[in-house]
Amino acid sequence: MVAQFLGLKLRLLANLFRRSPWQVVGIVLGLIYGLGIALWLVVGLAALRFAPVDFARAAVVVAGSVSVLGFLVLPLLFGVDDVLDPRRFSLFGIPNRRLAGALAVSALVGVPSLVICVVAAAQIVTWSRSFVAVSFAVASALLIVATCLLGARVTTSVAAFLLATRRLRETTGLIALIALVSISPVVVLLTGVDWQRNGLAIIESLANVLGWTPLGAAWAAPADAAAGEFGGALLKLLVACAFLGLLWLVWQALVDWMLTTGQRESEVRDYAGLGWFSRMPATPAGAIAARSITYWMRDARYRVALVIVPIVPTVMILILLVGGVPGRFLVLLPVPIMCFFLAWSTVHNDVAYDNSAIWLHVVAGTPGWADRVGRLVPALALGILVIGVGTPVCAILAGDWSMLPSLIGVSGCVLLCGLGLSSIMSVRFPYPTVRPGDSPFSQPQSSATAATWMQSLTVLAVIALVAPSAILAFLGLEFGALWHFASLGAGIVIGLVVLVIGIAWGGRIFESRGPELLAFALRN
Amino acid sequence: MDQEPEAPETDLQVPAPSAAPTPSAATAGKPAPRKQAPAKSAAAKPAAAKPPAAKSAAAKSAAKTTAAKTTAPKSTARLTTTADTPKRATKPRAPKPRAPKRETVLSIRGLSKRFGDTVAVDEIDLAVTAGSIFGIVGPNGAGKTTTLSMVTGLVRPDSGSIVVHGVGVWANPAAAKRIMGVLPDRLRLFDRLTGAQLLYYSGVLRGLDASTVRERSADLTTAFGLEDAADRLVADYSAGMTKKVALAAAMIHSPRLLVLDEPFESVDPVSAANIIEILQNYTKAGGTVVLSSHSMDLIQRICDSVAIIVAGRLLASGTMRKVRAGASLEDRFVELAGGRKAAEGMEWLHSFSD
Repeated sequence: MVAQFLGLKLRLLANLFRRSPWQVVGIVLGLIYGLGIALWLVVGLAALRFAPVDFARAAVVVAGSVSVLGFLVLPLLFGVDDVLDPRRFSLFGIPNRRLAGALAVSALVGVPSLVICVVAAAQIVTWSRSFVAVSFAVASALLIVATCLLGARVTTSVAAFLLATRRLRETTGLIALIALVSISPVVVLLTGVDWQRNGLAIIESLANVLGWTPLGAAWAAPADAAAGEFGGALLKLLVACAFLGLLWLVWQALVDWMLTTGQRESEVRDYAGLGWFSRMPATPAGAIAARSITYWMRDARYRVALVIVPIVPTVMILILLVGGVPGRFLVLLPVPIMCFFLAWSTVHNDVAYDNSAIWLHVVAGTPGWADRVGRLVPALALGILVIGVGTPVCAILAGDWSMLPSLIGVSGCVLLCGLGLSSIMSVRFPYPTVRPGDSPFSQPQSSATAATWMQSLTVLAVIALVAPSAILAFLGLEFGALWHFASLGAGIVIGLVVLVIGIAWGGRIFESRGPELLAFALRN
Repeated sequence: MDQEPEAPETDLQVPAPSAAPTPSAATAGKPAPRKQAPAKSAAAKPAAAKPPAAKSAAAKSAAKTTAAKTTAPKSTARLTTTADTPKRATKPRAPKPRAPKRETVLSIRGLSKRFGDTVAVDEIDLAVTAGSIFGIVGPNGAGKTTTLSMVTGLVRPDSGSIVVHGVGVWANPAAAKRIMGVLPDRLRLFDRLTGAQLLYYSGVLRGLDASTVRERSADLTTAFGLEDAADRLVADYSAGMTKKVALAAAMIHSPRLLVLDEPFESVDPVSAANIIEILQNYTKAGGTVVLSSHSMDLIQRICDSVAIIVAGRLLASGTMRKVRAGASLEDRFVELAGGRKAAEGMEWLHSFSD
């Protein structure tokens, strides 16, 4: 039974290589990356063999705890595709205990499992300082591997089972994003520490705490043994064993439960009325605009792109501030950057976001310009809002009202040029993106193509088109107000021309390439 | 690409000896040149002799009510053979079928499509007359969906012509698309919209004004039994409900031709009966339906004409009676598709292992 499951997992792994060449390249890169990390960790752990016990222990326990945490939490956040979902075996009539065991053992096959096995073996080298320490290290290695794999097994199933509804899948992605963002204060806090003086002490005290938690206990036991604290080592080994036992019980219960419970139904919400559709004109362009606005608000993929808009300039400015760039210049940056991300983020690949639902536009013979204009409306509206509110605020912060026209000019030019070029790019060079209903952080099903490169080249085109307005703005900073108005004029005129050309040209491409767009969506 | 909607000459069809009609002759107002085809056969005369004037609403509805649930003695005069006309005449309640010669609403000639090395559709010719339900059957992967997608402008054909109501689909797509209502198979919907929003969206995209769309949405929602679901996201619908809302969206602009790919798949029997009634009323009023399905019984029951496509090739097409040739559609289909696989050597299945 166990052998069959291991064989199945191996076969599934091998079949990964029978996909398209690009995917195989991706998998091979992943493998090399994983093995590279493993090798690097092995060298590090071997080197720690010659470090003092306290230092080695602090490093191993903290790093080890983080890796165990990763095995436990990553599947929850990113929803790994579970090829060995217990429910897939529900009709084979295998006793639940045996199924749970076989599935747990088959988790040994896989790249992350390989890495953790190698690392767990390497930490034996770190503690090869006495016989007792080595025996503790061997026991720990087994516990570490078992804990990581079983933990990942449990959380993967929890993700697949409990978080399976569409709405939850989308929200976990958002939670992950917010979690990532909220880590940044911690990072700032950590960068504030004087590592030269206190660093080791902090890590050591952290290791002391983690060593008693299930995350670090197995890593800490051989360290204690090496330091001669056998009682502590035994206790920690017990903690690790207890956690593993608990995981096993949870896993068994989970398998039992999964095999006898139906798919969770998501709660269904009612949305009264037509929403944005009744607020927009009843024309194709108006309806598409209403649909776009609705999607920007309802679809997690758009929401994530929207959340990123204010984050990017914030992070950029923080970095530049730390780098010593004077604040007077930095104040000029956020509005144009936000405009760029608004105009670029989803709009430049908007057709791909529709996936095969684009058939409706093709079949209805939607005028190309109406399709283009409708999709721009949310970005344009938000962009105008950002410029309207953001530029005066920035001008106040800079303490110089005279630069307001050029700030508006450059931002408007970025927004309009970005939208204009996006209108062409999204129909001419769509590239695969996350499919509707998938977690916004999941990988697109097929990989990069030439279209991706084309898209990045277009970013350069935006910069080139904004250059005149930006240069005039800099002249304004040097020589005074008139140049600022020239910048405003140049920015708006260039932007409007690019926007109109983009809509007209993109519209024509849309009308002639309908079947190709649908074929692309079906490949995606 | 734009060719006249002339009758295709597939092996099972009676050659139409009439002079090739020009595209303008194919419009509803001029059925005259078409009348000649059946008139050639003596047996068809009673029907053919009927002047177009007899196409009054009263005669129509009378013929229709009797013919609705039986196997198709209506509407496909251009495709009828001499064999089945006498039978029609013997039917007690159908001595006055509708106008004998009807416009060809959809004409496909020499349609081909390759995907790489595989030929998905191979030189298919079809003609669908107005006011009929035309079924396309075929095994999985036979090219039904590809054919219908080329008709609706979703897949670009390699060669061949498709003319809808006198308009070439690939020569004048904008005009042709206005004529058609489309239900594709296995394509996503904009499913973050509610059912009501999706209907409204489809209607407005088709150029209807707001009040018309609201009115028709309300009618369609009731007709398809979607009242409770109208304010829920389509993403939360069951497969059958999704099909129904997509079907409703396909009809909202009152197209002349409905192209429906697997309209009954995963639809419950009550809703299916409901949809069939809607479609039959629609054809009675002169609308035309082209649909594909796996369900032979259903096709046999509701379709006036049928085409059998296997491996991208048209094996038979014509009126239901002619294609069936005395057998049930399913038997005829299995025969044409290469016969049943012999189910031998499975005796172990009859001795149970537990």
